[in-house]
Amino acid sequence: MSSLKLSGVRKSYGAVEVIKGVDLDIESKEFVVFVGPSGCGKSTLLRMIAGLEEITAGELDIGGKRMNGVDPSKRGIAMVFQSYALYPHMTVRENMGFALRFAKVPKEQIERQVLEAARILALDPLLDRFPKELSGGQRQRVAIGRAIVRQPEVFLFDEPLSNLDAELRVHMRIEIARLHKELQATIIYVTHDQVEAMTLADKIVVLRDGVIEQVGKPLELYDNPANQFVAGFIGSPKMNFLPARIVQKDAGTAVIELVHHEGVRLSLPLAGGAVGDLVTLGIRPEHFGLPGEGAADMTLEVDVAEHLGSTSYVYARAAGEPIIIEREESRDQGDQERITVSVDPSRTYLFDQAGQRIR
Amino acid sequence: MTWAVFRRALVYVLLSIAAFVSVFPFFWMIIGATNTSADIIRGKTSIGGALLTNAATFFTQVDAPRIFFNSAFIAIVGTVLTLIISSLAGYGFEMFRSRFRERIFALLLLLLSIPFAAMMVPLFVMFSQAKLVNTYVAVIAPTVASIFIIFYFRQATKAFPRELRDAARIDGLSEWQIFLYVYLPVMRSTYAAATIIVFMANWNNYLWPLIVLQTADNKTITLILSALTSAYTPDYGMLLFGTVLATLPTLVIFFVLQRRFVEGMLGAVK
Ligand SMILES: Nc1ncnc2c1ncn2[C@@H]1O[C@H](COP(=O)(O)OP(=O)(O)OP(=O)(O)O)[C@@H](O)[C@H]1O
Ligand SMILES: [Mg+2]
Repeated sequence: MSSLKLSGVRKSYGAVEVIKGVDLDIESKEFVVFVGPSGCGKSTLLRMIAGLEEITAGELDIGGKRMNGVDPSKRGIAMVFQSYALYPHMTVRENMGFALRFAKVPKEQIERQVLEAARILALDPLLDRFPKELSGGQRQRVAIGRAIVRQPEVFLFDEPLSNLDAELRVHMRIEIARLHKELQATIIYVTHDQVEAMTLADKIVVLRDGVIEQVGKPLELYDNPANQFVAGFIGSPKMNFLPARIVQKDAGTAVIELVHHEGVRLSLPLAGGAVGDLVTLGIRPEHFGLPGEGAADMTLEVDVAEHLGSTSYVYARAAGEPIIIEREESRDQGDQERITVSVDPSRTYLFDQAGQRIR
Repeated sequence: MTWAVFRRALVYVLLSIAAFVSVFPFFWMIIGATNTSADIIRGKTSIGGALLTNAATFFTQVDAPRIFFNSAFIAIVGTVLTLIISSLAGYGFEMFRSRFRERIFALLLLLLSIPFAAMMVPLFVMFSQAKLVNTYVAVIAPTVASIFIIFYFRQATKAFPRELRDAARIDGLSEWQIFLYVYLPVMRSTYAAATIIVFMANWNNYLWPLIVLQTADNKTITLILSALTSAYTPDYGMLLFGTVLATLPTLVIFFVLQRRFVEGMLGAVK
């Protein structure tokens, strides 16, 4: 299994640059997930690794070999597409063996490899069917099977589960995690599903507008986002962002006050900044406390409360701004007009005007 | 009578008229092939007993094997070449990005508006300078790059999933292999529909063959039939017998490919 290295990789379509210099190291057997908002260049980056798009500038190494300009079939990769991209005129068996047929692999060996992949994915009973005779989940398994048969060094997945319904998606997610263990393969996986990213990844790469915002283990990104974008992107429901102002500043600490909640003051350790600076306070929905638990209490108007059994989400407003609060069900008393929560400064994040994390 | 019933009746009447208009010539042709010329002129509309006489006259007046071979050769070779060349062009236009793609394509569509009559004389001069007059090549060559069929294939290719081509590239196929092993089988409905359209156009082509095919032994059935009409007293029974024969190949092709033809016209990629 191969490692990958991207250095200064760029992609332009005409005058438009969509990948603006990506540096990334992927270790052998690592499960890497690319996440980011729609149009940020996840697919483009993946397709460049696959060799389906030319690399405008920079360098791509797979397994220590420079791969710029190398034919897709000679990169030791296999790709699973969002639309499955099964050949509609071939049976499952033919679909899975197609690449080997063109690589002039002997018939018996093709058959052996196809059967082996079919066994791993429990596709045996479907081998003689055509793609149109399969369900969405089965098609996706065949697409994965087709990738496995080629015994690639690196698997590339482009939103493989987004055409499946919620239940099947959970099932296939677990299946893919199991495959990763069983095949010991390097996997690069594109998704915009939070849960897929958090559960599958050894390493998450957060992209925005063709630039890597942060790379790290799922929990690292959750606990220690580098900036406001990553903080808002990782975690569900999204982190709340409240405008605040530094009202007092000593060496190493600062007191901030929420702009729309005069009187809600928090004292935080903070290196930089000056009195009067506008900052953004980030609080995850799950980090609000009960009244009196934290350093400051805040009372909010409730819009809607959703009760999911184990938890509930309270959609509240503070001076017109939406705030989401997550509560354990048993600790709350159903719907109320207003809710009072407390903020624990040690569980907050602080961002400057440019969105960079300052604490 | 309620409006709904009236509407239904109206639809049936209109459809019946349309069906009559399209079926009647076939009916007339078949009836005519079994009657004598005199009976046909009198407007007889039942099966007569002159079929064998008509057949005998036709086969003595026309070198049928030779003429049908001419027609078949021109239609089949012309259709195969047209499909290959025009589908390759349609595939290329849709699959490959280029700065000039749309401009070239727009130019092609513009060329579509030039009537054939305007190109006839220069074309003839070209072929006569190339010493190709009175050959199959002269009939086939001007038709093989059909702008209409290129356009048809480009439109149909829009429904061809791009990811199939990507998957095939990763599977190690060259562009030609992708065309041959993936595109062609996936697009078979489109090819079937195009086959019918192109074959019919080639088989029935009249004006250009009339100009470039000059000796009787090289003429197609369409030309021969038209020549027979212009006799001083045309033998309509014999003519209609010839027409029945000339219609058969197109009918066979149509019925063989009918189901795919409909799929192709609906733009189905399965
Ligand atoms: N062939 C192309 N020509 C011009 N621009 C393109 C082309 N392909 C992609 N783009 C642009 O590149 C950017 C990145 O596209 P890409 O498909 O990689 O996004 P993505 O992150 O995969 O989004 P999504 O989550 O919606 O799949 C987009 O702004 C897109 O418009
Ligand atoms: Mg994408």
